[in-house]
Amino acid sequence: MQRIVIKRDGTVERFQMKKLVDAIFALLEGLDLPDDYEIVFKVAKELDLKIPEKVTTEELDYLVLKAIEHLIPKNFIYDTLATRQLLKIINRRIDKRFNSFKEYLNYAVEEKLLKPELLNFDLENLENAIDYKRDYNLDYFGLSTLKDRYLMKDRNFETIEKPQWFFMRVAMGIGNTEDEVIKIYNKLSNLEYLHSTPTLFNSGTLTNQYSSCYVNVIDDSLDSIMDKAKETAFLAKYAGGVGTDVTRIRATGSKIHSLNAKSSGIIPFIKIFDTIVNAIQQGGRRRSSQVMYLQPWHLDVEAFLDLRETTGNPYFRTPSLNTALWMPDELMRRIKEGEPIYLFDPAECPKLVTAWGEEFKKEYEKCIEKAEKGELNLWKKIDSRDFYKKYLFKLAKTGHPWLTFKDRHNEKNPCPQYSVINSSNLCTEISIPNSPESTAVCTLASVNLAKHIKEDKSDFDWDKLKDTLETMVVALDNILDKNFYPSEESRKNTMDLRPIGIGVMGFHEALIKLGIPYDSEKAVETARKIAKFMRDITYTKSEELAKERGAFPHYYQAKYDYPPRRNAVLLAVAPTASISIIAGTSSSIDNYFSNIFSRDTLSGKFIVINKPLMQQLEEKGLWSEELAEKIKAHQGSIQYIEELEGKIDKSLYKTAYEVSPFRQIDIAAAFQEYIDQAVSKSLYIEEDLRDKMEEIYMYAWEKGLKSTYYCFIDKTVKGEKYTMNVNKRGERRGFGLARKEEKQLEKELEEIERQAREKYGDEVVEAVKSGNIEGCPTDPLLAKICPSCE
Amino acid sequence: MAFIGKTSVRDNIRLSETPKYPVFRELYTKQKKAVWFPEELNIQQDVLDYKSLTPTEKDLFDSAVGYFASSELLVQNVLGNGFFPVLTDPYAKMSFSTQMFMENIHSDFFEIILNSFDMDRRKVYNITLEDKLLMEKQELIVRAVDRITYGKADPDTLEGKKQILTSILLNNIIQEGLFFYSAFAHFFAMKDTGKMKNVVSGVELILIDESLHLQNGIEAILTIVEENPQIVDDYHFVENIRQTIIDAVELELNYLKTKFGGTTIFGVSYNELEKYMKYIADRRLVELGFDPQFGIDQNPLKFLQKEDVKKLTNFFEVSSTEYTNF
Ligand SMILES: [Fe+2]
Ligand SMILES: [Fe+2]
Repeated sequence: MQRIVIKRDGTVERFQMKKLVDAIFALLEGLDLPDDYEIVFKVAKELDLKIPEKVTTEELDYLVLKAIEHLIPKNFIYDTLATRQLLKIINRRIDKRFNSFKEYLNYAVEEKLLKPELLNFDLENLENAIDYKRDYNLDYFGLSTLKDRYLMKDRNFETIEKPQWFFMRVAMGIGNTEDEVIKIYNKLSNLEYLHSTPTLFNSGTLTNQYSSCYVNVIDDSLDSIMDKAKETAFLAKYAGGVGTDVTRIRATGSKIHSLNAKSSGIIPFIKIFDTIVNAIQQGGRRRSSQVMYLQPWHLDVEAFLDLRETTGNPYFRTPSLNTALWMPDELMRRIKEGEPIYLFDPAECPKLVTAWGEEFKKEYEKCIEKAEKGELNLWKKIDSRDFYKKYLFKLAKTGHPWLTFKDRHNEKNPCPQYSVINSSNLCTEISIPNSPESTAVCTLASVNLAKHIKEDKSDFDWDKLKDTLETMVVALDNILDKNFYPSEESRKNTMDLRPIGIGVMGFHEALIKLGIPYDSEKAVETARKIAKFMRDITYTKSEELAKERGAFPHYYQAKYDYPPRRNAVLLAVAPTASISIIAGTSSSIDNYFSNIFSRDTLSGKFIVINKPLMQQLEEKGLWSEELAEKIKAHQGSIQYIEELEGKIDKSLYKTAYEVSPFRQIDIAAAFQEYIDQAVSKSLYIEEDLRDKMEEIYMYAWEKGLKSTYYCFIDKTVKGEKYTMNVNKRGERRGFGLARKEEKQLEKELEEIERQAREKYGDEVVEAVKSGNIEGCPTDPLLAKICPSCE
Repeated sequence: MAFIGKTSVRDNIRLSETPKYPVFRELYTKQKKAVWFPEELNIQQDVLDYKSLTPTEKDLFDSAVGYFASSELLVQNVLGNGFFPVLTDPYAKMSFSTQMFMENIHSDFFEIILNSFDMDRRKVYNITLEDKLLMEKQELIVRAVDRITYGKADPDTLEGKKQILTSILLNNIIQEGLFFYSAFAHFFAMKDTGKMKNVVSGVELILIDESLHLQNGIEAILTIVEENPQIVDDYHFVENIRQTIIDAVELELNYLKTKFGGTTIFGVSYNELEKYMKYIADRRLVELGFDPQFGIDQNPLKFLQKEDVKKLTNFFEVSSTEYTNF
């Protein structure tokens, strides 16, 4: 096949594999590899199949990238190569337009993409701080995600920002001085910590919206519902996630005095928000999302559990919303002890909404008494165990509602004189007092623990960790004054409390580096130690900042027995779904999902491999393509692969489903002891343990978790294994039997032989049959009896 | 009683704890667990993507959607009109009627795509009539099956059994296990380039379903052959079956060649697809007990590796396909 390349200027040239091979060799430069020929050969072989007859230069670049990408599961070196190829593609196009970072900034300011104030920094100084070698800190999945969604694009959606420019631009939108900017840049570009996605998107831009989460409260009035609908629309527009408490809204059948009518309950109003969120999701870089929180004593709770069902009346279904329960202790106690639960209308029992702990229990018992005496119009008594079972069934089936604990959140509220905590947020890690007049806002960043391990892997590098955490406190506090607040209520909350949320990622990767299995008591201790350290360092820093910048304003209006600090709350462990991809590490405090798995994101589908495992196996010379296939065939587990027995510590590399859910809870609980806001913890439950869900979630409550998040249950039905051979036939031979039935074949052969003898005579036939002729016969009849033709 | 035959409506209505064909109880259960609904996916999210497809990309997408949309209920017809009435085993009936139910879901899913993207309904459904090569693919099945439906094949005779076996081969192996698998690759290539992600999430669910339908077909064929060894005594019939599969591959390759020509679409070239089809065909042959024809034992479309491993979805970004029904 003669192939041609169509060049950018339209001219045509003959395709030469040699040129391509040279280009691949160039990618390997500087990597000390034992067998670079083999690597290049493999890529070229992939490519040969991919390249069509007519190909443009740009397409060729892309096909090279894809060819390398497909080899990633075979060896980590291909990940490095793919990253370099993608960098080459990004840089080549940008280099054609801008000669320097400064040129890019000027252009972006002119195009009204970036804030003009960025130009006030000493740009020379900042440009000198940029280290392009740090591009190599990124892995392929991380760089692809950056390119697809984070790097600045011009008005024609062309990428105009190099990865290092991106880190610097983000830092410039946060730091107040050049020293601060450079410090933040260094930390970000070395992936030592990252800000949350909205900050990475918008820092330094004219959008100027840095926050991830908002938490608002809807009051029991049409006015309030419509006001919050509008607020939500604006919060969602700027890619924020919104948590909303709907417990105050009166229940179905509740009297509306002004109309002399009965209320249709919470569901139709929740549906309004579903429609708004769905409308705003269109075309976003990140889907805006909302979660509705309800306290489960609300009379409409049963319909609430069904919101995420996919069948039934669509008016009572909210496919675009998430849901969560805000569970009081008293109800958990009743479930545990098998006592009945009573459901009420908040319009009749308004005190239940804000009461918590012992006070809630008292109010709840009062309501029960009234109900039993016939003094309440609307109430219902249900079996608590049935309810709990039904709830967990819905959780497993639809992923919703999540379970969060009202009293755990409120007993740790640092500002009870400000307000109660009415609910958590979209990812269940926020715990900030709020009210219908004050919408909580949180701005997040997460430290990458895997980048804070000492060179000799003996321990965490505590000094470095301290330095990073302190940088994060300052950076996040800076943001609060630069941030754009989409509503007055949200500005108010921040200006009163100045809350920030520092979380973690790479916990599992760090444990592997330290040789500690995730599923061990040692891991729980490590979690506790890290969390305590984070608390000590960040609180000290915030107290220091208070001396310099003042404490959060509400502090002065109330009386609290702790020293003044800059921020009411400082710590929140978020799921870090996207930023852990950029950092190339395990997300949040979670176990690696699996040792090889695929991830669906807005940027497409990627194969993720547990890098530390691959590296360790490679160091020991155990890694091979066959082993990779074996791990794949075991659904990413290495626990049952015999050849690794005794060669590596397998317990370091359990998959998420292989770690006991009780241990998962222990680790989250250890973090929660010191995290002042909440820990968002997804649970991974092996299908066989499904019957234990009641026990597992009861344990989560007893261990003092504030929040749980998604519940993943391993699904056993998978598609046909596409790239692996699976024998569906087993022992049966099917049509294979036919070949054993040679009688028929013999009969046919006899017939042919007879015809041949007729045509050519016996002598020729005998010669052919014994193979005594020169070459094979060309006659089709004779060929059929020739033994060497067979 | 044999696996296929003539029965009264009163027969085969009792389930047994020790079924005669336990594999169909297993397949029924697997299909039950796999049931999903198109409403679980947020197809609307892909509208902007759809509008930004290049003309060749759009053509490939439209053709793939058109082929599925006009084949899903055809698959159901083949089973309903020809095969289901001659099934004698209650679990086999449950397994195949679950398959029929799933084809509704698939039709429904493509209907939602059609509406969400404002596609030309007439054009979509007519694609198997107006595109000559697509028509040929479908005709291959229609011709053979129409000859035997409505009792025209007698399940109690050897000839009838062969005819029924052939219809299942055409439907569950060739249509679902070859032609559909070809189109799957087009969809997955889209996701590999970051396009049409929510639609492809639905197609991933269809892949799970179809791989079970394929197993339905393989089990039915292997069972019929096992119970009626005379079938394989007929060497010409066996050769014919094998040739039918190879001819179908040829048809598919013709189609792919005209679609892809000398270019790549979604980063995939004809050469790769040719190898892929032959790889799939070899596996179908082996599954039925034949020797492989093309000798290709590795899937050249490496991005399909992503379909083989456990999946973790970023819930706020892409519709999840990992929730189980009960
Ligand atoms: Fe189907
Ligand atoms: Fe099917």
